Amino acid sequence: MSRFEGKSLKSLLNKRTILSFLIILILVPAVIAFGIVFLDDRKYYLISLLIILLTMIPFFLSFESRRPSARELAVLAAMCTVGVAGRGAFFMVPQFKPMVSVVIITGICFGAESGFLTGAMTAFVSNFFFGQGPWTPWQMFCCGIIGFLAGLIFGRRPLTKREHPFVIIFGGVSTLIIYGGLMNLSTLLSSVMTINLQTVISVYASGLPFDLVHAAATVFFLIIALKPLTEKLYRIKIKYGLL
Amino acid sequence: MNTPFASLHPFVLLVFFLFAAGFSMFLMHPVFLVISFICAFGYSVYLKGKKAFKTLGMSLLLVIFAAVINAAFNHEGFTILLYVNDNPITLESLIYSLAAALMLLGVLMWFSCLNEVMTSDKLMCLFGKLSPSIALLFSMTLRFVPRFNRQLKKTVSAQKSIGRGLDEGGFFTKAGNGVKILSILITWALENAVETADSMKSRGWGLRGRTSFSGFRFDRRDGLSLAVLLLLIFIISAGIAVGAGDAKYYPAIVFPEFSFFGLTIYISYFLLMAFPLIFSLTEDFKWYRSKSKI
Repeated sequence: MSRFEGKSLKSLLNKRTILSFLIILILVPAVIAFGIVFLDDRKYYLISLLIILLTMIPFFLSFESRRPSARELAVLAAMCTVGVAGRGAFFMVPQFKPMVSVVIITGICFGAESGFLTGAMTAFVSNFFFGQGPWTPWQMFCCGIIGFLAGLIFGRRPLTKREHPFVIIFGGVSTLIIYGGLMNLSTLLSSVMTINLQTVISVYASGLPFDLVHAAATVFFLIIALKPLTEKLYRIKIKYGLL
Repeated sequence: MNTPFASLHPFVLLVFFLFAAGFSMFLMHPVFLVISFICAFGYSVYLKGKKAFKTLGMSLLLVIFAAVINAAFNHEGFTILLYVNDNPITLESLIYSLAAALMLLGVLMWFSCLNEVMTSDKLMCLFGKLSPSIALLFSMTLRFVPRFNRQLKKTVSAQKSIGRGLDEGGFFTKAGNGVKILSILITWALENAVETADSMKSRGWGLRGRTSFSGFRFDRRDGLSLAVLLLLIFIISAGIAVGAGDAKYYPAIVFPEFSFFGLTIYISYFLLMAFPLIFSLTEDFKWYRSKSKI
């Protein structure tokens, strides 16, 4: 099982590396240059949104070109549903959401690729219930990249019990730094259009309490769910020979 | 509820919202800002009635936060109004933060309209062909959510009947029962997903020659609307290229001089932004008139 997974991951990385290089080295600088030359270098909002959308394309493309099986798609959709329902169940507690922990566990059990997709899709679909906005692409990217990293770091072989504390630490840190950091950046770029040290500090400082709650939620849900949920996913994987 | 503008082909809607939100995000000239905000808010009121004011209130919270930071920490500009702790507050930065606030409000309003108009079936129609696997993942997730909720209710009542309800025992028993229910539910969701997938496969999913369902047809009305929208977008883009949309706030406020050409651009911009509202109201009026005749 793990041998097969490692092989597919490698070939995926190759394909994605080429695409990513193309997008990151050519398209993204082109968009930035367009922003500086034609839009007076003050339109951070539009440019940052374009860049975040562009960076997601290679992930989606490589998933599409892999031609995933119906079973794989269905199981990923089920995990997305768990994430969406989890966000819905805790709607009255601001920021205290299990979404990121579900995405991390999916990434670990089904690989980096699937982790990204589950994260992005969970954020996208849950916003149908909570409201789409200019923040949607950012949330998609944040959740996706956390799932991707979780898969990349812990997904190479079945998770051992000794690795559990590391996953939990990873969950807290990545929620705080990647999710919180990028979402604050999106606030900064979209609404606060004068960027200097003071505005950066004030935006990040005002976001910090929310990010801390979110990180605590991820840690909490990982402590509860990591063992039972990974067991369930490995079982499904073995039972139906998935991925 | 399918309002007249929302009943247009999804592709026309996509073009409209892409450019409405895009232009709103980067045209900082006050005339454009006011037009965009008023049209977005008007359409939002048309779509959602009183709820639009609630959305506006929620958006205002975010906008005020941003405006305060913008005005307080930006010291560019010539005209100094007052000093706060030796830091100058300038007229330019005050006006710029107001403009930025209006821009943000306009964009948020457009997104609230997008929420009402761009339903998931329309997105499926747009992206289904472009990326079939991801579109399928999307639609399956959407379908699984209500199914999951229904199964949750079933599981809760089944557990309750064997004395493991969510309202029994102390806090820890309750929490334990809750976790148990969730565990059952997740296992069910995964098994059920595999079953769905097998069922799909045995019905020929992914075979060649299979088409996907789409309830949308691109007819003459859509073509006409798209042509009008594209014409307006072209005029506005030309105007922007020539500099009609320029607005400098620092170091001093400079707007392009008023001209007949500029006025044409403003009118085109208004027509573009008000297109959903004009379209919807005309259709409503036609319907109203034909109804009263009978």
